[in-house]
Amino acid sequence: MAVSAVLGCGRSLPPRVVTSEELGSELGLGGKVVAERSGVVRRNYAGPGIGPSDLGREAALAALADAGLGPGDLDLIIFATMTPDMAFPGSACFLQDKLGCDTIGALDVRAQCAGFLFALAAADRFVRAGRATCVLVVGAEIHSAALDQSPRGAAATPYFGDGGGAVILGAAAEPGVLATVLHGDPSGLERFWCEFPASRHYPARMELAQFEAGAHFYVLDAEAVHPQAERALAEVTREALGRAGVAAESVALFVAHYFDHRVARRALEKLGIRGDRIVATAEAAGHVAAAGIPIALADAVAAGRVRRGDLVCCAAFGAGFSWAGAVIRL
Amino acid sequence: MSETINSRILGLGHFVPDHVVTNQDLTRLMDTSDEWIRQRTGIEERHFITEDTGPADLALPAAEEALRAAGVKAAELDLILLATLSPDIDFPASATLLQRRLGVSGMPAMDVRNQCSGFLYMLATADAFIRSGGARYVLAVGAEVHSTGIDLTTHGREVAVIFGDGAGAAVLGPEPDPRRGILSTHLHSEGKYAEKLMVEVPNSRSRPRVTAEMLSGPGSRLWPRMEGRYVFKHAVTRFPEVIQEALASNGYTVADLDLLIPHQANLRISQLVAMGLELPEEKVFNNIQRYGNTTAASIPIALHEAQVAGRVRPGSLVCLAAFGAGFTWASALIRW
Repeated sequence: MAVSAVLGCGRSLPPRVVTSEELGSELGLGGKVVAERSGVVRRNYAGPGIGPSDLGREAALAALADAGLGPGDLDLIIFATMTPDMAFPGSACFLQDKLGCDTIGALDVRAQCAGFLFALAAADRFVRAGRATCVLVVGAEIHSAALDQSPRGAAATPYFGDGGGAVILGAAAEPGVLATVLHGDPSGLERFWCEFPASRHYPARMELAQFEAGAHFYVLDAEAVHPQAERALAEVTREALGRAGVAAESVALFVAHYFDHRVARRALEKLGIRGDRIVATAEAAGHVAAAGIPIALADAVAAGRVRRGDLVCCAAFGAGFSWAGAVIRL
Repeated sequence: MSETINSRILGLGHFVPDHVVTNQDLTRLMDTSDEWIRQRTGIEERHFITEDTGPADLALPAAEEALRAAGVKAAELDLILLATLSPDIDFPASATLLQRRLGVSGMPAMDVRNQCSGFLYMLATADAFIRSGGARYVLAVGAEVHSTGIDLTTHGREVAVIFGDGAGAAVLGPEPDPRRGILSTHLHSEGKYAEKLMVEVPNSRSRPRVTAEMLSGPGSRLWPRMEGRYVFKHAVTRFPEVIQEALASNGYTVADLDLLIPHQANLRISQLVAMGLELPEEKVFNNIQRYGNTTAASIPIALHEAQVAGRVRPGSLVCLAAFGAGFTWASALIRW
């Protein structure tokens, strides 16, 4: 059976930085409250007209360059997002066109904040199954278009930012993706969700009444999500390491992905992992959901924090709830 | 290093809401006629929900039927996949809602969003997980509630008369015989034509992604827009192409095929494709007459009906093929 390895990483962050000071006035909170509540000091917002497929394109081109490959080398795109360019078609289709790829498969997946690891696991499976040899795995989000920028959004809005990240996963002689583990638990579904548009709503999936009520904005009960997130991030890290047959000591970098970076960091520190070996994705530029992990990977590679041959362990937890882990030898 | 193992469909199920909407019924809502709809699409009736009901709700009985047929318990599933273009809610995924309806937890739940090709993209994903030993039992459900997202007035008639609500489910598992099960899957896209068939809103390129103006009908941007001629023209090219690709990559020709199940987009497309391939009528299964286009649900509904009708039997060589919004197109070749 074939195995897969990461051939390149790339990311894209829109240039506009939104500080918690700026956001504070719109949300009717002080900038200090916004930063304290979310732990996020700054996040990036993309300008009008920019969609996830645009950030995905930039990240993909960077990842392809890192891999020494071109769009013509790809035979599958897997795109994870919770803020697609349009209701449909999927963002992978737009990206296929923007990259000028052949008429390759363009799969869109939805697994929210853990979406990138779900997409990575799927890509690894396509390669191992012999159904693909060079897969572009993209996570990209434009949260800023979906957030409530009024005092009603004070609970959720401070956490989120825009961005895109990409990884090229290719068939390899030596396994790079050593283990992927995926989980779901629907019991906390309404603690972190966005209800509308809702096809289940009869007779029309969205009417002005729901719009006026703000039912198309994110609902986030952060305090209610934290305990399960902290537990799951620790458990899935242990599970992924166990599945890969890798000791925590031999891992160069732990990437912990959750909307509150302090909870993510604490989860791993409780496993006895030292703080300087942990990247909590939301710390640098807010929570970018499906894009957080590939952005962190690309940044770690660019900064020389990890090198080829190093082991990286990723864990993600988010809406669904969905959570996942992966161990990768770069 | 271990070898790959084939996957196969262990059980099928489908479910549609009770309420039947005939072409005649539609004439009371819009300026159209039974004759016009039949002539253009072959559709005679479709099913619509009549109260709050989501794709995950329609998926549940379909999934339960498929699990029973497969002899697999919901708790034994390693992965729950749901393909839809009309998700229950904005997020989380409809697969998560189905997981709750099934009363199970722990295994991952993920949506596939590939429109009319959604079932085959999902089937390819399920196949990749099983084939590589990453999952043993996978539930793959295509489910749609279109009726809450179409303009049922004269303004929206070109699109609205086509779609129906429904769900179809497959449970997949490993097949030890390398000559049987899913032999290959083939996925394609051409995003250049993404805007020829789309629902524009929510639109993450706009700031904000939903506005009151976007929701105001007629012309609500929550409703599908379609340039039917483009879709038709590309469909009749891509369908035969991807069917031939599936056959050729396994060393078969059209003459070897026992049954073709095309995505039920339009009876006229299916007929043209069959004619072009010189496939006799008894080797093509169509049921769009009774369901309309149920996008991601159409292939599993048709496959299940074909199996019940005895048209898919052990040993049958079956080709599933789809074309739709994206544009995306796909096929799978199965030795039953």
